[in-house]
Amino acid sequence: MRLQGVDVAVIGAGPAGMAAAIRAKEAGAQRVLLVERQEELGGLLHQCIHNGFGLLYFGEDLTGPEYAKRFIDRVYDLGVETLLETTVLEISPERGIRVINKGGLQSFRPKAVVLAMGCRERTRDQLGIPGGRPAGIFTAGTAQRLVNVEGLLPGRRVVILGSGDVGMIMARRLTLEGARVEAVVEILPYVGGLIRNEVQCLHDFDIPLLLEHTVTEVHGERHLEGVTVAKVDPHRRPIPGTEIQIECDTLLLSVGLIPENELSRRAGVELDPLTGGPTVDQWRETTVPGVFAGGNVLHVHDLVDNCSWEAELAAEGAVRFAKGERTEGREICLRPGRNVRYVVPQRIRGEGPVTLFLRVREMEEGMRVRVGDLWQKRFRVVKPSEQIKVELSPKDLRRLPDGVAEIRVECEVAG
Amino acid sequence: MKEAQIICVGCPLGCRATLKVSREGEVLEVTGCRCKEGRRYVVEEFRNPVRVLTATVLTEGSRVPLLPVRTSSPIPKEKLREAMKALAKVRAKPPLRAGEVVLEDLLGTGVDLVATRDLPS
Ligand SMILES: Cc1cc2nc3c(=O)[nH]c(=O)nc-3n(C[C@H](O)[C@H](O)[C@H](O)COP(=O)(O)OP(=O)(O)OC[C@H]3O[C@@H](n4cnc5c(N)ncnc54)[C@H](O)[C@@H]3O)c2cc1C
Ligand code: SF4
Repeated sequence: MRLQGVDVAVIGAGPAGMAAAIRAKEAGAQRVLLVERQEELGGLLHQCIHNGFGLLYFGEDLTGPEYAKRFIDRVYDLGVETLLETTVLEISPERGIRVINKGGLQSFRPKAVVLAMGCRERTRDQLGIPGGRPAGIFTAGTAQRLVNVEGLLPGRRVVILGSGDVGMIMARRLTLEGARVEAVVEILPYVGGLIRNEVQCLHDFDIPLLLEHTVTEVHGERHLEGVTVAKVDPHRRPIPGTEIQIECDTLLLSVGLIPENELSRRAGVELDPLTGGPTVDQWRETTVPGVFAGGNVLHVHDLVDNCSWEAELAAEGAVRFAKGERTEGREICLRPGRNVRYVVPQRIRGEGPVTLFLRVREMEEGMRVRVGDLWQKRFRVVKPSEQIKVELSPKDLRRLPDGVAEIRVECEVAG
Repeated sequence: MKEAQIICVGCPLGCRATLKVSREGEVLEVTGCRCKEGRRYVVEEFRNPVRVLTATVLTEGSRVPLLPVRTSSPIPKEKLREAMKALAKVRAKPPLRAGEVVLEDLLGTGVDLVATRDLPS
């Protein structure tokens, strides 16, 4: 394939990358190239065989593979060029892209780039659980791939650390496949994922949920034989004397996702320590001109629908950049204030509209979320596990007085 | 009279509802829900709890070992495990396209099991 003369190159073909490539084509880019290291398009969706996808984007309750197929068909119908089984090794600060596949190494320089490499899972090393290195410890995502794609059951007696959605969904899946889930262990006083998943994945199958508990040690020489679980105090430190032993041959870790930022870092884009992904403006342009980002590579979303939408914004920005149209205008910083963990985008440049995502730090009831004086809304409850999406119109932005350089995004007690 | 506890999954609040139920199984009173839609949901969940089942079936004559499947509509919750046993006997053979029926009328529920992706040979 001739790689010279590409207008928009999209790195990664998950829901974000596919949506970006489609939108770039629709927005008038001549040559759009989608680069993916796997042998098929779809990213993580192939292993997410459960339903709950597409409720917002399509107004239908789809499984991961069904959601993926809608985008895959469109990618091919529109004539997006695809480069499968090809890994991007490097993106230079000048947008030079180096890829490797069976054909060898190749380099090219598209007019604009959209980063859509998704996220990775936190591992045991990042948690520092004491004990040996027995076999039988997996991240929940690895187990999901083993069970749903390869047809292998990781074990018979399972403990799951972390009550995020992936962990709870795996608890149900393993139970239905005949394994016994001894417990889901969560360090916080509430579940990390959706209530729906707590009810339909844990309660439906009488799977014990241990809140304010953590795994303090793993046992077993060559293979896992059990774990020690202890209650934690309000500072999340294990309380001596509360330890219990649970026999198990498998421990799944579902303890958080982090944007995949190896390539972003090497491209020299500025990263936000709060999200783990690049800092961007409303078109999801990073600090490197012509390099955009969308989906989980930017910040971890709870809903795949939002990954797709966000990547479409990035694609629109990329197409404009490729055509030589630059957005200029005043720059305004968005800063997280009270009980706000992060805000994306981190800055607004020129005109709106602006699609903004934020996450809170702590669960609180009876709150008002506000974006400076531009927008506010009451929430019966805010939770760290539920992302909040805000749409600001061009009109909203025009109401901003001149000279404003910063807007605070806050969650305050509703009066 | 009996009482039943049901958590509403309608929104992030996750209200814990208590249902007062007559001996004939009729819902007399619902407390604990903070909205109307939630009340409707918990009553329905009490009378007839249903779930969409998603799982995989083994393949035969395909380069991929598994085919992901779903029920075309929700089935009674208490049939989930029995349904898994029925699925264990199924062998999906290519060519199959997403949306095609893999097993008709699962356990006499009137609900079909359908493929959620194309099955390559
Ligand atoms: C284990 C796991 C399970 C999840 N389950 C759910 C769920 O059930 N429901 C839900 O809504 N969300 C789930 N998520 C969140 C999920 O990641 C997002 O919903 C969505 O898949 C993210 O889309 P994405 O396109 O940003 O990333 P991905 O789907 O991760 O796609 C990224 C793609 O980029 C490719 N790629 C990465 N680096 C390179 C490179 N250097 N060169 C070439 N290609 C590259 C990858 O191969 C991959 O195909 C899950 C996440 C994980 C990690
Ligand atoms: S009852 Fe209403 S407010 Fe309460 S969880 Fe259900 S939908 Fe939400």
